Amino acid sequence: MSRQYNPAITAYKRMDLDGFNELDKSTEQEKSSSGGGLLSRSSMPSKNSKELDYSNPAVRVAKQMQVIRKYRDEINGTK
Amino acid sequence: MELSNQPSFDAPIPGQSLTMELGSRPWQSPAQFTTVDETIDYYMERMSSEDFMLQLADVLEMGTPVTVLANTIQMSSVMEGVHTVDVGMLVLPMLMEMIMMVGDSAGIQYDSGLENKDKPKTRDTLIAKVISDYEKEVSGAGLSDREEKEVKDEVEEEEEPKGLMARRT
Repeated sequence: MSRQYNPAITAYKRMDLDGFNELDKSTEQEKSSSGGGLLSRSSMPSKNSKELDYSNPAVRVAKQMQVIRKYRDEINGTK
Repeated sequence: MELSNQPSFDAPIPGQSLTMELGSRPWQSPAQFTTVDETIDYYMERMSSEDFMLQLADVLEMGTPVTVLANTIQMSSVMEGVHTVDVGMLVLPMLMEMIMMVGDSAGIQYDSGLENKDKPKTRDTLIAKVISDYEKEVSGAGLSDREEKEVKDEVEEEEEPKGLMARRT
């Protein structure tokens, strides 16, 4: 199969896992810093916020990839 | 790409797809899994079986790129009516990561398929040309500096007095 007709290359390269990890960390920090009271922010992120939208299918795939990548890194001993 | 002059008979006849009853093909009926989560679960379960992993390791060892494998797997699932094309596209990176993990755990030197081997390398002649151009430019700049100095000196020497009382030569 020709390389240029394979969507897997583009799909994989566009999945920026390093950027995702940073965003994921910042989202978790924001969540932990905000209290769990009645006046706490809703789970729906606003358009301008840099929080991850877990209802987005691409984010869910990235989360799965993050877990597998971590496991791969452990196998390869890179991290 | 060079086109073969021989007619290919190993292809569907134009309009063949319309000869079957609508909905009789798996991809024409609603997909079995409609969400990314369901599809990921399906692949995780399928790929974690020992038979699949062994087959996958064999194929990887044969030198098949991971990208090709992942695309083939998702495309065959679309044809079987497991999930839609768009869900397949979304799941592709995860599939690739999973295949690479199988390769890593089996200790195989697999081809990820992400690097473009056909990409033309920088030609040696081009590098040589750039070097020669640079050298010319540098030496040219040196000459002009010297010339500029000489010109300046000459100008200073030949500068005539401009005052009213200046003596004319």
